[in-house]
Amino acid sequence: MKRFWALILCLITLSGCRANTVEEHASTPLRVWVGDNADVAWMEQVVRDFSAANPDRNYDIQIGVQNEGDVAKVILADVESAADVFTFADDQMNSLLIGGALMPIVEGAEAVRNANTPESVEAATGPDGQLYAYPATADNGYFMFYNSAYITPGDASTLESLLDRAAENGRKVAFPMSNAWYLYSFFRGAGLEMRLSADGVTNLCTWNAADTPITGVQVLSSLLEIAAHPGFVEADSDAFVAGLKDGSIVAGVSGTWNASVAAQVWGDSYAAAKLPTYRVDGQNVQMASFSGFKLVGVNAYSDHAGDAMDLAAFMTAYEAQVDRFTMRRQGPSNVAALAAPEVQSEPAIAAIVAQAPYADVQRVGSKYWDAAAALGKIIVNGNPGGTDLQTLLDNCVAGITAPADQ
Amino acid sequence: MRLPRTKGRVRWGGWLLLIAEIAGFLLCWPYLRKLPTLGTVQAQRIWDPVARKNVWNDYDNSFLILLFGVVGLLLLGMALFQLWRLLRPGRIHPSVRGLERWLGPDFHRTLLFLPVLGVVVVMIIPLITMILIAFTNYDRNHLVPTNLFTWVGLDNFRLLTDLTASSAFAHAFPRVLGWTLVWAVTATLSCYIGGILMAMLINHRRTVCKPFWRTCFMIAMAVPQFVSLLLVRNLFADVGIINTLCKQWGVTDWLYSIGAIPTANVIPFLTHPTWARPMILLINFWVGVPYQMLIATGILLNIPHELTEAARIDGANSWQVFRSITMPYLLHITGPSLVSGMVTNINNFNVIWLLSRDVYVTTDQLMAQAGATEVDLLVTWLYRLTQDQSNYKMASVIGILVFAVCSLLTLVAFGRLTGRGREEAFH
Repeated sequence: MKRFWALILCLITLSGCRANTVEEHASTPLRVWVGDNADVAWMEQVVRDFSAANPDRNYDIQIGVQNEGDVAKVILADVESAADVFTFADDQMNSLLIGGALMPIVEGAEAVRNANTPESVEAATGPDGQLYAYPATADNGYFMFYNSAYITPGDASTLESLLDRAAENGRKVAFPMSNAWYLYSFFRGAGLEMRLSADGVTNLCTWNAADTPITGVQVLSSLLEIAAHPGFVEADSDAFVAGLKDGSIVAGVSGTWNASVAAQVWGDSYAAAKLPTYRVDGQNVQMASFSGFKLVGVNAYSDHAGDAMDLAAFMTAYEAQVDRFTMRRQGPSNVAALAAPEVQSEPAIAAIVAQAPYADVQRVGSKYWDAAAALGKIIVNGNPGGTDLQTLLDNCVAGITAPADQ
Repeated sequence: MRLPRTKGRVRWGGWLLLIAEIAGFLLCWPYLRKLPTLGTVQAQRIWDPVARKNVWNDYDNSFLILLFGVVGLLLLGMALFQLWRLLRPGRIHPSVRGLERWLGPDFHRTLLFLPVLGVVVVMIIPLITMILIAFTNYDRNHLVPTNLFTWVGLDNFRLLTDLTASSAFAHAFPRVLGWTLVWAVTATLSCYIGGILMAMLINHRRTVCKPFWRTCFMIAMAVPQFVSLLLVRNLFADVGIINTLCKQWGVTDWLYSIGAIPTANVIPFLTHPTWARPMILLINFWVGVPYQMLIATGILLNIPHELTEAARIDGANSWQVFRSITMPYLLHITGPSLVSGMVTNINNFNVIWLLSRDVYVTTDQLMAQAGATEVDLLVTWLYRLTQDQSNYKMASVIGILVFAVCSLLTLVAFGRLTGRGREEAFH
């Protein structure tokens, strides 16, 4: 369609166009998408620094805003006219790779690998081992918040004591159970697997297997107990914030995006920690998590892929990440920037670092999300149909591992 | 060069049009040629380290092939038709020749040229293209331009109708369709009846301050629908004010004690299937009644007084007047709008989407696999499939079925409501 209109427009303005297009363009136009309106000020500063660092080149850089959480569908809807450089959350990586939107980092990949944490580099690496994006932040995962006026650090180490303590005080512990991204933490913590298979499209999942040391059925029955506990409340991000403000929630699992609200509401009693352990099959297992990174990608269809790579590298270099932390409180993936004392003293970032050994890089095919969310909702509702737990898991796994073309 | 003549009269315009159509067809030929396969050359990129640019091969874009293939076929058809018209011994205005005719007796055609072209370009061509996508495998794994998609025949329809296979779509489709129909009927009738009753109440002779009441409802109507809906959604959210109040007043605990809600924390107004569906109908009722009330008011004021007075003199009570005069009169006038209201409700995206987006999580595992929820209409399911999952092929299949349902319903209902005989009833 675009070409059709372009053809008509060209025909109309034929005489005018001919004179202009042959002119040598003096400046290099680049379009860059950042994730949030609040990132624009930071990006403007990066652009100023980038232009100052390249005085011999004349860049014309335009900044746009596209939510990092669903930028892939915007890009893939028309990849040829998407931005040259864009920020995206690492859960978008797989879609972008399948859609062929990401330019492999063919220049300076080794330097990027050396400068950033191994996990963030892993998140930016494709199944073929090539680097496809530049790590920008390493704080996009989840961890535990708690109000130390009610919860001691000892209580915060197991989910059971957290729930008991909250219930004793008539308060709640919040967990977004019907969100597939969070539900993963219980199953993975018990040693069960769910990840992208070698074809890069479908998922592998052992949640319904009968031969694992801890079975999915055991995890599921623990989860049903947890969800029925008087100290438990299912809460998405909005509900978590609302519960923080009205005081009903004294602990919960969320991410850095809610850290400033928690710090503000709880004041000095605001604390953050790694996820607790929970009890399944008579043993305490550490809850796992998805680590989360923001990555900067270069559009493979960009007319200025080389310049776009320069800009993306600059956006994710040490100085830019330090600025990003200073201006936006976003935790760096750059090893040197992460080591700075003021970064380490941020409770949310310290909690993410503590959770890191139990965090997996997100490598998940698209069929996981709805199937796992449905299971989470069934748990929250207390399995109202009384369905056999193994059947629930079998159905869920059938959904998770379904061929992606259905 | 002399242009060809037929029966001695110059047919400049016809031949020029034919030439333009053939030229357009030739422009589309490179795409049309590949239409049977929808392209075979996969995109490939080679990095040029000196120029620091990507060099691309001359790759095929399946979507453009489909689009311009359709355009080319249309032009070919039009050209053949034009050729047939030109060669057939025809009737031409005897006194006017050639192009002049387009400013004279055929001026209506000249005027219609642009609108018709517009309809063809912005409606017919995209429509045919979208319908054809239902017969391809255009989904997230076959996104252009990096990947190619191709024809798969009726496979997508089989996925939807084959109940023997363990297809999630075959499970979800009848459920979504069923709820869509229940929703359309209930939502339309509830607003319709509610609107009429409200209008009669306000028009009742013992009601005081009629304009005031009417204005109240006008104001509710003047607020854009999506604003009201988002507001109501926040009111009834799990952390909304209604939930907070219910909790404080003990309603939540009472409902939990009788087993009406799964947890003692919140009343899942918009997040549990047994609650969400009635709530959505109720909210739609609240949003839709003022509009129907205004329409009914206008019609009620138009009912000839002689009819009702004559009925009263004959000894009819108010119920009999309502049943035998008011209601048939109303039905006669609003019948067609009732049908179009039904079709609008089948495609009522706003209410369902704004109330369930990001809030409602299904507990039906097979529906989840198909990307649908219990509160989805066909149209919101279609939107979810395209926007969230880039599943264009299934969205196209569902689009075709929505069209089938709507057209069937319209044909049947219009035939009944505006059939012969009824037309005469009030004249």
